[in-house]
Amino acid sequence: MTKVYASKFYTLYQSDQDRRYYIDFGQKMVKFSFCQLLALRQKIYAVSIEDHFDSDLNKHGFEILILCNKEHLFLLNTFEVLDLMEMVKYSFSLLGISSEIPLTSS
Amino acid sequence: MKDIARQRMSIKVSTMDLLNDQIKMESHASASYLAMASWCEQNAFVQSAEFFYHQATEEREHMMKIFKFIADCGGNSLSPTVDNINHDFSNLEEVFETALDQEIEVTKSIYKILSVAKKEQDYLTENFLQWFIKEQLEEEKTFRDILDLFELMGRDGIALKFIDERIKTA
Repeated sequence: MTKVYASKFYTLYQSDQDRRYYIDFGQKMVKFSFCQLLALRQKIYAVSIEDHFDSDLNKHGFEILILCNKEHLFLLNTFEVLDLMEMVKYSFSLLGISSEIPLTSS
Repeated sequence: MKDIARQRMSIKVSTMDLLNDQIKMESHASASYLAMASWCEQNAFVQSAEFFYHQATEEREHMMKIFKFIADCGGNSLSPTVDNINHDFSNLEEVFETALDQEIEVTKSIYKILSVAKKEQDYLTENFLQWFIKEQLEEEKTFRDILDLFELMGRDGIALKFIDERIKTA
């Protein structure tokens, strides 16, 4: 497996052999098809991070993520949400299908 | 390292996001036209109501075209939620003016996606959008022509009846 990107809490790997992606969430390694990775991106981007700083809108500052056709459930705090957002953003740029982060430097 | 992402998806994620936003916009436009059709029905503008039912169907077809395109390219199409539909209008002219403004917003949004697609060298999306650009030109022209009728024929009771009768052929 080839490491694509590692953030503070998470690491994305690509496996050429089974044409899948793997994310190391710390507690466990989760296998993603490309479509599931796209769905993760859409779910994490749909999180309203501003709500985490307003106790009326998100009292405990947690986010529930249900991934891979309801196979996995994650409970993330604000730091983990922000870190996962960053990991997704950089990874998609490195995978060559997004230019949200210009990868011009070496 | 294999380019699995490219093997799986033919468009860029940034254009996919914008196309999903466009799905939402077309769906909203379709629902707005239904609200306009309802207003026309309630105010006895029968031909205008028929016209807006037709427009609502067209907008839904546009939405489906984009939905299918994203899926065909290997992306994730998102089924839209629609809210904030205005059902209140003062008169028939306002209905058509609102419709024209809505079409202008759709055109602007298409141009925005086209501009991003060009920047990202996403030629597939750029090519796909050409049909929409032509379609938007026709849509805007249709509404402009209808609004011209109010200038030509006036805004009183009988003039509105004549305008409504001419909408059929618009």
